[in-house]
Amino acid sequence: MLSDRELVSRAAEEDEDAFRELYDRFANRVFRYAFTLLRNEHLSEEVTQETMIAVWKGAMRFQGRSKVSTWIFGIARNKSFDLMRREKRGDRVPERPLISPDPAPALLKAEAVSGAMQELPESQREVVFLTFFEGLSYGEISKLLEIPEGTVKSRMFHAKRKLAEVLA
Amino acid sequence: MKDCETIRELLPWYASGTLEGDEARAVTAHLASCDACQEELALVLRLRRGIEGELRRLPNAPDGMWRRVAAEAFGRPLGRIDVGSFLVGFSLGANIKRGGVPVYGDLRLLGRRMRLFNVKQEEST
Repeated sequence: MLSDRELVSRAAEEDEDAFRELYDRFANRVFRYAFTLLRNEHLSEEVTQETMIAVWKGAMRFQGRSKVSTWIFGIARNKSFDLMRREKRGDRVPERPLISPDPAPALLKAEAVSGAMQELPESQREVVFLTFFEGLSYGEISKLLEIPEGTVKSRMFHAKRKLAEVLA
Repeated sequence: MKDCETIRELLPWYASGTLEGDEARAVTAHLASCDACQEELALVLRLRRGIEGELRRLPNAPDGMWRRVAAEAFGRPLGRIDVGSFLVGFSLGANIKRGGVPVYGDLRLLGRRMRLFNVKQEEST
């Protein structure tokens, strides 16, 4: 199986099959990341689409200094914030909760965590998502978000404290 | 030996397995002798389980998005002629794309497709 880096390199040579493989590997991840930031499926779809097209068009500019995932998430992040600005998100009500209610009789604690996640500020939710869902190190998150490592740890600290309250 | 505060800051990444080298070793060594930080790790692990479960329920990208991405990236196919097999062959095709009608030639070799040329003809307005 080709590595992400090899796929980007092939996409840079306009290999459409390689780009399809990249899309298959990243589209859902990008969508979920955008959804974590935007809490709106329609906008997340727009961000994902624009991000993947930017990956195709920008593949030849990928220098390989970071992981492919960090590069792609960086594009998605910029697009999400561009969209937020365009949509003046401050005035918008999220289309739906971050996590849809589980129809199964979920554990009360798990539901409490879900509720607490939705209450987290977007900056903290993003760090939690990138740590526990994408498995990024704090150094990688620091590079992606262009913030000091101490700030990443601090956002996680505050998120952890809020989430821990519901598990207490 | 790092202090408890420093160790606790690192526990989420220790729990997610992304701490490496000296930092991971320092956390492991500290945990071996600190009950309070062991309890904190147990809390982080419970949180991680809860959070991962919730994050797995996030929606996926909708079906059909690929077609829109492909149309924007490559253009809509106008026509293509394939010669040879999947393993070795040549394709000549054209797409309709915003701002032009690119004509391309691909060489297929051992299942890999390589673009030989991509001539962008601007549409006359």
